[in-house]
Order: sequence, then structure tokens, then C-alpha cells
Amino acid sequence: MAQFLQQIVNGLSIGSVYALMAVGYSLVYSIMNFSNFAHGGVIMFGAYFGFFAMTLLKLPFLAAFALSFTGTALLALLIERIAYKPLRERRAPFLYFIISAMGASIFLENIVIATIGPTFRTYPKVFSRTAIALGSIAVGRLDLIMFFVSAISLALLVLFIEKTKMGKAIQASAYNMKAAALMGVNTDQIVMIVFILGGILAGIAGVFFGMKYTVYPQIGNITTKSFVAAVFGGLGSLPGAVLGSVLLGIIETMVAGYLSSQFRDLIAFVILIAVLVFRPSGIMGKISEEKA
Amino acid sequence: MRVRKMLFVMLAALVLISCGGTKQADVIKVGWFGALTGDQAVWGNNEYKTVQMLFEEMNAAGGIKVGDKTYKLEVIGYDNKGDAQEAVNVVRRLTSQDKVVAILGPNASGNAIPIAPILEAAKVPDIATVATNPKVTVLDGKVKPYNFRVCFIDPYQGAVAAGYAYDVLGARKAAVLYDVADDYSQGLREFFNQNFKAKGGQIVADESFKFGDVDFRPQLSKIKASNTDIIFMPYFFKEVALSANQARELGITQPMMGGDGWPSEQLISMGGAAVEGCYFVNHLDYEDPDVADYKARYKKKYGVDTELNGYLVHDAVLMLVEGLKIAGKVDGEALAKALEKVDFQGITGHVRIDPATHNPTGKDAAILKIINGQYVFQQKYAAK
Repeated sequence: MAQFLQQIVNGLSIGSVYALMAVGYSLVYSIMNFSNFAHGGVIMFGAYFGFFAMTLLKLPFLAAFALSFTGTALLALLIERIAYKPLRERRAPFLYFIISAMGASIFLENIVIATIGPTFRTYPKVFSRTAIALGSIAVGRLDLIMFFVSAISLALLVLFIEKTKMGKAIQASAYNMKAAALMGVNTDQIVMIVFILGGILAGIAGVFFGMKYTVYPQIGNITTKSFVAAVFGGLGSLPGAVLGSVLLGIIETMVAGYLSSQFRDLIAFVILIAVLVFRPSGIMGKISEEKA
Repeated sequence: MRVRKMLFVMLAALVLISCGGTKQADVIKVGWFGALTGDQAVWGNNEYKTVQMLFEEMNAAGGIKVGDKTYKLEVIGYDNKGDAQEAVNVVRRLTSQDKVVAILGPNASGNAIPIAPILEAAKVPDIATVATNPKVTVLDGKVKPYNFRVCFIDPYQGAVAAGYAYDVLGARKAAVLYDVADDYSQGLREFFNQNFKAKGGQIVADESFKFGDVDFRPQLSKIKASNTDIIFMPYFFKEVALSANQARELGITQPMMGGDGWPSEQLISMGGAAVEGCYFVNHLDYEDPDVADYKARYKKKYGVDTELNGYLVHDAVLMLVEGLKIAGKVDGEALAKALEKVDFQGITGHVRIDPATHNPTGKDAAILKIINGQYVFQQKYAAK
């Protein structure tokens, strides 16, 4: 029983890691209808921004945190302007966006390897590494903080989208970009705002990953799993992305803990494929013909 | 017209370059490859720099004598990013394009195993550094004619780890966590389990993860519930540090043990308190007087400490030079035959190649323990 509860805690914690990334994917997807593979690269930069802000600039944690997500917001915006805007203006097929996104992702990883180097860097200690013990169950402090920070930032995001005028415009553009433009919504501006929001989420995720898993150029690769989680939950749906991530985290943990860790990915992904066979749009996805 | 002009200029340049090439014919080209980027870049860079340093030193001392001619040594190094497919590509490039006489590296078994057919076709021998999987030099009971190495192998390393855990540390129950996607990790786990059970011990958990994973808590929670005496972690320092941290976070207090994938300056900075008191099997003791000279030269030239790989590639270079001297000519095929006969004192021990396996015979393993962030030598240990 103790092991079961511990595995649930593990699953939730891994799931919240996925969720933090999956929401960024889903947000961009809901507007642009393509998967922004450069998101992992932006997360990696977030981890480095935070790390250097704390070690080189000697900033306190919160200041470094803010600097990191400001930096990644600008970076995401820059990528949009350079890699996607020209394609948007030419009304290029979605495939071109994906290729451009992959290119951006490879570029980001390699520029870090070439300039900063491939070594692993450890964040200065911010939170204690000792876990909070609830009986025989251990809950990591960092996990707990991460869980709450991601919950709060996701809640703020939903509030922004549901309650503000700008949010309404985002919703309208997500529903139909052309019609929204005809109604006087500045869709170019909406795209920029979505990328800024995605960039902020990437910065938050990056700092936490850096603290949790150390900082290195390939850290963005964890996003593969979160992309799967986003598809599982329904690409384009924010609550779906969160739900998909938590479910994927728990399924993985349970398979590894009780069936076989050797077959973890195999079994977990067979479950995912089975879900998608019966619900092609994911658990909470919007119905759309063009998935890319 | 412009195109033609450019072609002419390029042609002229090519002629010039090839003329330059013939002028310095007394150079032996040696290939090196390994990871200069990616997870294992720390080790790759260390190996490549060591080879460069040693060649520079040898050239400054007048070069080496092969047959009755004196040659300078030149290294051509490529990055395979720690990737098996890339390994095949760079070896193809080294043998067909750069026409090297021999190749040094790689450090990873998974990268050293697939290159054999290309070496055989090109008749170019390779000396692997820390590639410890048996399949690097022997496949299906037959020795690969062009693959050699300077390190001991995984069955031996696994037997040493199991023997030390059982006999010296007194462990009776062991849990294993390994990388299912890696030949090195799979091999060590197999030989550890075999030997530990043969001694009368019990494997109470046998869990795996996949390369690229960063979270090991599901497997570790299971290991925690198994009440083991020791945890065997046969994989590389990055995952070791992450999994050790997570294990301590989950309240696992048992000592951990690993193989030669552990030692790295970064293990201590990443693992910190979590790897304190842990043991690993190593190729050498860092405080051994035999290695002190190389260690100091490296530190002086590059300003950083050498990693484990540097010591092994140092001996790979010595082995190459010995082989060339025995062969008496600069030819891959003759060199491969000569390498079977080498017998010399390296800094990591005496290297005598067994012609039946292309492995050095009788190299002792060293057991190191991490105490206050330092690798502290415990004892030399030979498995029976």
C-alpha cells in the first residue's frame, strides 16, 4: 500500500512535468494548427537563462526566475518572427511550419553546444533536497513547489483566456482565424501574444527542469513525451493537455512499478494508441480535420 | 565564363594542395572518433585532447621510427555524438577518405560494436579505449581481426562488482537498475547478476530505464520496497547522478555501486551528497604513481583535470606505437597482426594482448569509494 501511494505521488509529479510543457504545445497548436517543436529548445534556453542569472549575475532565485521567463518570451517571439511569420504570409502548407520548427529546434540545441558547451551544469541549491516524509511516503519539496507553480500559472492562463478581451480574441482566432480577422481582430498580434505566453510557460518549465534534472543542451528532449501527452489529451485543448499529461505520468509509473520497467514505454504507448484509435481527437480535443 | 574561371581556380588549388601532401609523406595519419558533443562529450574531448598532446610530444621529440624511416604522427578526429549510426559514418570517412592507418576510440561499447565490418573491409585496425562489452572484439566465439582494446571487459567488471559486494561489503540481497537501451549496461547487469547469484546472493529487484529518461522514481520506489542491501547501477554518470539524487529523496539509504561509467568530475558536482559513500569498479587508482606524470602534463597543458578516458587512450596510443614498431611498416593489415604481439607497460597496467580475444589479459580492477567528494582508493581486486 505504501508503495502504491508512493507510485501515485511519483506519477503526479512526473505528470506535472509533462503538463508544464504540454500546455505550451497546445496553446500554439490551438491558434496555428501545427506542433511547435521548437518549444523544447525554448525550454532549454529557459533553464540556461535561470542558471546563468543565478551563477554569473548572482541574482536571487525569484529575480532569476523572472529574468528567465522574460528571456524565453522574447526568444519565442523572435522564433515566430523569423521562422514562422514568413511562412504565414505566404500561406505555406502546415508541413512547412513543422519543418521550420524542427529546424529552429536543432539550431537552438546546436548553438548552445557550440557556444556554451555540452557539459552538465547544476543549479545552486534553492530548495532543500530532503523530501517531506508523510509516513513512509516521500514527497519532494521541489516537486511540491513545481506542482503549485504550474497549477497557478495554468490557472492564470485560463483566466486570461476566459476573462479578458484579448483572451476572447485568442479564442475567436483559435476557432476560426479567417473569420476573426474579418471581424477586426488583429490576428498577427494574437499570434505574437500566443507565442509570448508559450515562451513564458517554457521559461517557467525550463527553470524547474534545470533545478530538477540539471542543465544540458539536450534537456529539451523531454518534450517528446509531453508532446505525446498533449496529443493524448487532445491537441489544442488546455485542460486536455493537463489531463493527458497527468494520465501519461500515472500510466507510465504504474506500468513501471507493477508490470515491468523493461516494457514501460511499450505498454504505455500501446494504451495511448488504443485511446487514439477510439478517440482520434484525444480525450478533450477539438474536432479538426487537419492535424499536423 | 565565370563558372569556368572558378572551376579553374579550384582545380589549381586542388593541385597545389595535393602537391603539398606529397611533400610531407613521412606522416602517419591516425584516426580518432568519439563524442565531442552530447551526453558523453566530457570524455570524448578528454580523449581527443590527450591524443593531440601525446602526438605533439612525440613529434617534438623527433617522431617515431617505423622500419628504417622516421615518421611524424597526425590525428584526424571526428565527432560521432555518441551515436552508433554516426560511428559507422565517421569510420567510413576515416578509412576511405582520410586513409588512416589505424583508429583510436571510441569509448562506448555501443559505438565500437557496429564498426567492425567497415574496419575489416578497409583493413584498418581500431583500438577502443573504455569499450568493455565482450562483443567489441569477439562475436559468436570468433575474434574480430581488426578490433582491439586496452581495457578489461564487462564479464570481469561484473564479476569484480559482484564479488566485492558479496565478499567485502557483505551484501546478500542486491537490486539492479540498468539502461535497457545500452549494450554496456545490459552486459554489466547480466554478469553482475550471474556472479552474485553464483556466490549465493539474491537479486531482489531487476529494473530498467531507457536512455534519455530523467525520472527513475517509479523503479526506485520498487527497489525501496525490496529491502535490498546494495543497489547496482551500471550506467553513466549523468543518469547515475540523477537516479542517486532521486533515490536519496525517496529515502533510500543503501550504498550504491557502479562500474567504470561512473568516474567523472561531473558525477561529484551533479550527484553531491547523494553519491557519498558509494563504490565503483575502475580501471585504475588515480593516486597510483604510474599515472602521476601524465596527469600533471595534461593539467599543465589544458588547465583542467583529465578524466578516466585520458588514461586509457594514453595506453591506446602506446599500444599503437608498439604495434607500428613490431609491424615495421605503415600498413593496416601488418599493424593488425603486430597488435596481437604487443607486450608493454602502460600507465594503467601491463598490457599483453591475447590473440584469441584481442583483450589485454590480467589487468587488475581498482575499487574506489566516494568520500567527501573525492575518489578514495579502497583496494585492487581481481575476480576469481
